[in-house]
Amino acid sequence: MSIDAEETQVSFDRVTVDLDALQRAAYAVADAMSVDITVAGDRFTCTLYPREHGTDPSALAHRMRTEVVDQTLRLRIAKETEPLRNLIFALAFSKTGLTEDEIQQ
Amino acid sequence: VTALRLSRESSAIAPGGWQLLPLRFHRFDTESTLLTNLVGEHVFVPTHQFLAVLDGTCSDQNMLAELRAKHLIQLPGERLPTELLAIKFRTRLRRLPDSTGLHMFVVTLRCEHTCRYCQVSRQSSAKTEYDMSEETASRALELAFRSPSPHLKIEFQGGEPLLNFPLVRWIVTRAKLLNQEHGKKLAFVIATNLALPDEEILDFCQNEDVYFSTSLDGPEELHNTNRRRPGQDSWEKTVTGIKQVQGRLGDDHVSALMTTTEASLQRPTEIIDTYAKLGLQHVFLRPISPYGFALRRRGGAGYDVARWLAFYEAGLDHIIELNRRGIPMVETYAAIVAKKIFTNNDPGYVDLTSPAGIGLGALGACSPRCKTTHSGSATYVTAATKTSCCQKSFSSHSKTRSH
Repeated sequence: MSIDAEETQVSFDRVTVDLDALQRAAYAVADAMSVDITVAGDRFTCTLYPREHGTDPSALAHRMRTEVVDQTLRLRIAKETEPLRNLIFALAFSKTGLTEDEIQQ
Repeated sequence: VTALRLSRESSAIAPGGWQLLPLRFHRFDTESTLLTNLVGEHVFVPTHQFLAVLDGTCSDQNMLAELRAKHLIQLPGERLPTELLAIKFRTRLRRLPDSTGLHMFVVTLRCEHTCRYCQVSRQSSAKTEYDMSEETASRALELAFRSPSPHLKIEFQGGEPLLNFPLVRWIVTRAKLLNQEHGKKLAFVIATNLALPDEEILDFCQNEDVYFSTSLDGPEELHNTNRRRPGQDSWEKTVTGIKQVQGRLGDDHVSALMTTTEASLQRPTEIIDTYAKLGLQHVFLRPISPYGFALRRRGGAGYDVARWLAFYEAGLDHIIELNRRGIPMVETYAAIVAKKIFTNNDPGYVDLTSPAGIGLGALGACSPRCKTTHSGSATYVTAATKTSCCQKSFSSHSKTRSH
């Protein structure tokens, strides 16, 4: 695939980065660029298209990489804390009278 | 001292000796990261320390103690942090079971103003076919009283609602009659340009404890440029109206908000001083709502986020300075956001709630002929269709909470 002068590409190892994290990152940086994600072998390739002409391609790549790191951490935290989060919600919403069992009681 | 030292040493957390509680983070700048939890507790930490906390390698006992106190981490086996988080979470959402407390009645689309930034499908003063009927109002009241909320705020909007004052009076009277059965706490607000109140209107509002919310864009020339009406006397009439309400009903019965046009951007100080001179102690610095008809007109925003923020910061600085000089003044939006950040007492501002305020926070009723794209967070119901007329967001003019 040919790349226009202003486009740039960054790639990520599929072992260390989830597609979910890449998609979340692409959404988060949408104010500055649109992102096309493709898979080839053991790597994801992200082609970054700046929204404004004259944007420094290395700045785009830096922002995308930083965002992917953050989204990866967020997924990790969400997974690690999921049981506690569910416990907190269960405690918070218990005895609300919203479930059938409680209404019958 | 020895006992204290021993106690502190014994409470030291070993590397890896903590569990993460559900948290969110945001890189605030290159050096620091903002951590928040489910209930809005927050703490700024150096970014490298945040990563050490995630990896279980942090040895900074002060930081670990702060994170533990803010319920961002806990020790394995602890139960109290999760129980406290659940209580706080429940407290923040305590208004949710009450459902809708704010009910807006667009009693007419007629208006004698032609404001540059108006998003409403305004009609000329003569077109009474754009007034709400008693039948529509009656159905909307029935819907309002079906809400489980113990508080109902009924807000009259337009157009200029005072052009259909007979219906306002009918709704207030009817609502109080219905409330003899329901026993809710009722409040009434008229969102008006205050150009039209006469003795009859003021007498009624005084007797029925009705509040007024008006628009004041700042100094006379700026206000009249933004808010045009025949005679170019909007400012004079609004200021006179504010003073009349203050004198008859009390200072707390009238509030004002402003809309920022490009012409306002260089004048934050003058705008705020206009409010202070009138004895108003709150000012709501608002950008133009990017909704509906406002986008089509020449008076559309005409400025970007950076210019808006420069205006807002200058305004906020001036408000802080006024308070330092002993002149009380609150910037409403800052007060709402600060309360959300620093307390568990959510102000219930419908535009900034989660779950979203649409339907839950506010409902609006309007004429079947309404073609307005309402702004803010309300669902609209028309008498003809009994379905939502539009589901864009809606800003309550009285601006604080659903009840």
